[in-house]
Amino acid sequence: MKLKQILLTILFAAFLFVGSALCYLSPAKAYSESERRPLAQMPELQLASVANGKFMEDFEAYAADNFPFREVLRSLKALFSTEVFQKLDNNGLFVADGHISKLDEPENEAMMNHAAERFSYLYETYLKEKDTKIYLSIIPDKNFLLAKPNGFPSLDYVGFTERMKEKTPYMQYIDVTEYLSLEDYYTTDTHWRQEKITDIAKSLAKAMGTDVTSEYQVNTLDNPFYGVYSGQLAMPFPPDTIHYLTNQTLENCKVTYYDTGAPKAGELYNMKKAYGKDPYEMFLSGVAPLITIENPSATSQKELVLFRDSFGSSLAPLLVEGYQKITVVDIRYVQSSMLGQFVNFEHCDVLFLYSTTLLNNSLALK
Amino acid sequence: MLFSGIPFLYYFLPLVLFVYVLSPKKLKNSVLLLFSLVFYAWGEPKYVFLMLLSILVNYGLGLLIERHRADMWGKVFIILSAVFSLGMLGYFKYADFFIENFNALTGLSLPLLKIALPIGISFYTFQILSYTIDVYRGTVKAQRNLITLGAYITLFPQLIAGPIVRYVDVEKRLLERTHSFSKAAEGIRRFVIGLSKKVLLANTLGEFCAAFPAIGDQSVLLYWLYVIAYMLQVYFDFSGYSDMAIGLGKLFGFDFLENFRYPFISSSISEFWRRWHISLGSWFRDYLYIPMGGNRVNKPRFLLNIFTVWFLTGFWHGAEWNFVVWGLYFAVLLLIEKWFLAEFLQKNRVIAHLYVLFFTAISFAIFSGSGLEEALSRVGGMFGAGGLPLTSLSFWYQLRNYGVVLLIAILCATPVFVKLKERLMQNKVTRLCLEVLEIPFLLLLLVIVTAYLADGSFNPFLYFRF
Repeated sequence: MKLKQILLTILFAAFLFVGSALCYLSPAKAYSESERRPLAQMPELQLASVANGKFMEDFEAYAADNFPFREVLRSLKALFSTEVFQKLDNNGLFVADGHISKLDEPENEAMMNHAAERFSYLYETYLKEKDTKIYLSIIPDKNFLLAKPNGFPSLDYVGFTERMKEKTPYMQYIDVTEYLSLEDYYTTDTHWRQEKITDIAKSLAKAMGTDVTSEYQVNTLDNPFYGVYSGQLAMPFPPDTIHYLTNQTLENCKVTYYDTGAPKAGELYNMKKAYGKDPYEMFLSGVAPLITIENPSATSQKELVLFRDSFGSSLAPLLVEGYQKITVVDIRYVQSSMLGQFVNFEHCDVLFLYSTTLLNNSLALK
Repeated sequence: MLFSGIPFLYYFLPLVLFVYVLSPKKLKNSVLLLFSLVFYAWGEPKYVFLMLLSILVNYGLGLLIERHRADMWGKVFIILSAVFSLGMLGYFKYADFFIENFNALTGLSLPLLKIALPIGISFYTFQILSYTIDVYRGTVKAQRNLITLGAYITLFPQLIAGPIVRYVDVEKRLLERTHSFSKAAEGIRRFVIGLSKKVLLANTLGEFCAAFPAIGDQSVLLYWLYVIAYMLQVYFDFSGYSDMAIGLGKLFGFDFLENFRYPFISSSISEFWRRWHISLGSWFRDYLYIPMGGNRVNKPRFLLNIFTVWFLTGFWHGAEWNFVVWGLYFAVLLLIEKWFLAEFLQKNRVIAHLYVLFFTAISFAIFSGSGLEEALSRVGGMFGAGGLPLTSLSFWYQLRNYGVVLLIAILCATPVFVKLKERLMQNKVTRLCLEVLEIPFLLLLLVIVTAYLADGSFNPFLYFRF
């Protein structure tokens, strides 16, 4: 018995001291690839930050983020949570029908109002009394198709859309839900698959009075796509494959990216990003405030201004055929008040294409 | 600093253990005092000075009380000690509550002070009071060594969440304590179990409790599920913290009294309170209820004693009316039990258990609110107020999501595993298995807890009100 007490004490002490030594000695990591977020760093020790408690707060974040073998421990936690506790979700993520998805946040009216207010500002400032047709289309999260049938709570997507429509009476709504199926979404990511949404592009184009009927060549990216949920789930899950569509029209397009500094010529598909941290960013290079896509092969004189979130990145190329020029705007990264300097809103179609996820958490819209 | 945090487990605790073990006997209290102040300052850098002031003032008053115990100055000094300690508590914890209610009554709009509550002030105030009162009563001698008294008041294992350790219970250990492998092993067992209760059970249930208010499709059964989860969350959080405190105490050579003894198996509310937060209940009993005359007084005075004690018990938990209502609710239940139900409950054990669970569930609904309105709305929700449906999709989902955790938590809230262990220990083979498996089991728990903490999982601090 005594030996056991000694053994327990020694092993416990060894566990703590080895753990402690590893904490002190392990170099801090800057970024978590799996969670796709920067990790907290060791805060600077200053009298002011100690006095107001900020140092301690930051240190706690640093200690958790940089704990040795954290990735393995995250997987262990996920495994314990789902296998022993039989939790249906781990950190809000669940697996159903071969998909990883995130539990919906409750409907946030303040966020919806904020989005509607930003859209209204754009309408009042740039679009009212102009020869423009304004459209809205809301892309439901994959939970629209996944959650309820699998017994998970979800947003009232139909009600959500109705309420958003009521808040934007100056827009003509285009419903694309009838073309959506679960297979249209990546299994490990929140986004939709470009190769599966050509029917949606067609229906949007048709509703806006244009046509996108050409065929595409389906290209396969030779880099496994571990979507945003894949790392967050912290459990083994097979990756997706990204396919992207090309044809002669798309290859002839002139793509210009506008950010701080001079405009830069670019591509519809950024192959450098295809092999980066988030391969989905290959579509229109991911984060980009303003992009123009000029289509020299266009038979139409129409122009489109597309206000969008990341779902629009993979869809925008599929609308190219119907327009001479598409201006793709992401007001998360550019102030709405500055758009008049860069975008001509005369005689064009304007499409607001946003996901429910963004509209329900719209604080980033400027 | 939280016991259930990486900074404590992998930075603070190894360091304090290392220094403590290496330090000579006469410096051990100084080491504990120093590290306890660092521990407290980690969460409350400013208020560490308030605590030091309390120590100094009550150190002096303790000596004066002892010197003047026989004359009227003794009374003056004990009153001074009580006024100082309770004044601090009143100012930091209750000032805004009184101002708010004064404003509501008079229509005035006196500005609120918006003072941050020093962590653990309710616990260490009661510890200090127990010291000076016991010195006044002659139960203990005043401590002449400031470091020893400081170590008692600031002792980090029980500083921020109890149990409320009385000076009389640790006086000997403060001066002379032994350390042994068997005591250390006992402490480690207790600490790891407490840590697991807090991180694995309380925090997991806490996720649901935190998400509950935002759930759209509320229903009667969802309210009940919430209340049950909340009861268990508070129990495992609080008793887990007490276990960790007791375990750490043993590592440093102390023996703290038990604070929880499976309260949910009680067959009466009075038994529940003999099993729940024992150190608080016994504090009120010994320093308030009995000095007021207890139950050896006439009926009106007895009623006054009961309602005063339970009013203050409720108020101790937080400066909100729902805590007062919560305390008085128990006062009423205890009186009903004493006068009408005692015999019936003794004869009908099954009904008695259900009765305790039902009424404590309601008490936790009251306790869970952030004010009286929310508390009453939660109680209402349990009975379908506002036309709530019986079930909803969210109820079934949450039941499936937390069902196993709830079941494990319910089992762990009873002595079933302890009894099972006792039975298995009677058989040679199973005893050997248990002996062999215990250490790997405890280490595995530590790894899993660490995994939860490294994942940055939900880890609330429930004692901000205390």
